[in-house]
Amino acid sequence: MLKQLTNYLGLVAAYTRLNLNAQLEYRGAFISQVVAMFLNDGVWLVFWTLFFTRFPVLRGWTINDVITLWAMTASGFGLAHAIYGNVLPLAGLVAQGQLDVWMLYPRALLPHILLGRMSASAWGDALFGYAVYLVFVRPDLQHFGLFVVLTLSAALLFVGFGVLTGSLSFFLGNASSLADQWRFAMVTFSTYPAVLFDGAIKLLLYTLVPAGFVSYLPVQALRELSPWYALLALAGALGVTAMGVLVFYLGLRRYESGNLMEMRG
Amino acid sequence: MMALRKYTWIGLTAARSNLAYLSEVAARTVFLAVILYIFLRLWQVTYGDTGATQLGGLTLPQMLWYLVMTETLTLSAPRVAPEIDQDVRTGALAVQLIRPLSYPLARLWSTLGERLVRFGLNLVVGAAIALLLVGPIAFSAGGLLLFLLALPCAFTLDFLGQFLIGMGAFWLEDTSGLLLIYSRITMILGGMLIPLELFPQAVQPWLRALPFSSIIYGPARMFVHPDAAFLRDLIVRQGLAIVVLSGAVALVYRAGIRRIHANGG
Repeated sequence: MLKQLTNYLGLVAAYTRLNLNAQLEYRGAFISQVVAMFLNDGVWLVFWTLFFTRFPVLRGWTINDVITLWAMTASGFGLAHAIYGNVLPLAGLVAQGQLDVWMLYPRALLPHILLGRMSASAWGDALFGYAVYLVFVRPDLQHFGLFVVLTLSAALLFVGFGVLTGSLSFFLGNASSLADQWRFAMVTFSTYPAVLFDGAIKLLLYTLVPAGFVSYLPVQALRELSPWYALLALAGALGVTAMGVLVFYLGLRRYESGNLMEMRG
Repeated sequence: MMALRKYTWIGLTAARSNLAYLSEVAARTVFLAVILYIFLRLWQVTYGDTGATQLGGLTLPQMLWYLVMTETLTLSAPRVAPEIDQDVRTGALAVQLIRPLSYPLARLWSTLGERLVRFGLNLVVGAAIALLLVGPIAFSAGGLLLFLLALPCAFTLDFLGQFLIGMGAFWLEDTSGLLLIYSRITMILGGMLIPLELFPQAVQPWLRALPFSSIIYGPARMFVHPDAAFLRDLIVRQGLAIVVLSGAVALVYRAGIRRIHANGG
């Protein structure tokens, strides 16, 4: 088990290095995408700063909590798609029958295919998340350690959620648009304080659009330095990922090849 | 006169062809519904916590209708910069140059036609959602007429900004980062997320002087709070910005087309 895990982590490192080298072939474009995403996230921080300058407390949340929320979502989303970038076009890959080439490798299909691409802008998100947390929240070592663990949990959640929504193409034909909209809802809800929502919407945030595992539990865990909230966040991420993997492999039985000629460099 | 008819036809053709993509409306409905619901909750909580009936001179229903208009304006923007970027990179611009048309003017009219259709469809969807969430606000025929007068210059200004970014393809490896930064600056400084009245007093005059507020804030404010004096000021600011940006477009375009090298046929 440990040997398998080490072996897989080696594969992750190799793919990340290769994907990064491929991105750096167009160094200017890569840097501009990273910087643009960093600034894009920064604009939201400006919005929240303006908001909290005018209204200092929002249902018990302060500007520091919202910065933590943005740091968590951005770094989780960034890490997920910087390493597992193929999760974004997964619905399209399935619909167009482009999994064949990945089936030829002596590797487990899903964890391998997800490594096939890197989103350049995701590096901007990841850098932004860690930078703003360090610069604005100024955590002690304990808080920072917990923050790093929770960003990994958020990244796992985003990957699992992406697999779940992308796998809908096995059942619905081309579900790219549906997957995009569902992901959009997830990301959007993840960037607003969960305390804004009550009732049925709150329930939605822990089920259909599981943003609460990014926007509430991790922030509470860091506010109170609570292992309980951290474990709940991790359990949510593992649950969503398990569901995604299950739906993917159930759907795979219905997969039809696109008979496409493909070459991978 | 002949030239005007030519460009009007370009605009009408773009509008007609855009009407064919009504399926996009469904995607926008989800997007707008999620965004507007989140904003409604954010402002409901804020009005509730502060006990205010008006913020920035707007009641809660007016605030939501203001946000419907800012989102409608933002989402109706056609992807001008990426298209121009592609025309430059693929050499399609060289083909445009042999036509008896001014490329910037043809692009402007085609963008206006496309935007008009997208704006109308977005407004219908946004208004339906706002009616459902907060009900109607007081509209008058005169007020709506004043609002409509503010639109053409706002659309033109946004086009000029995007045209300049697209022309950047002559010098830059990738202009998508620049476009992202432009759209985010328009979002925050243009008052898309928060009306300018809620910004700190000291920066408000600066923000009103920048062209971004003439694209988003000005028309949206006219929509919920029509005022002839405000419109007069807005049109003067829009006119000045159009003159300055048109000059910049002329300079950049002239410099850009000198760099075109076309071979073959």
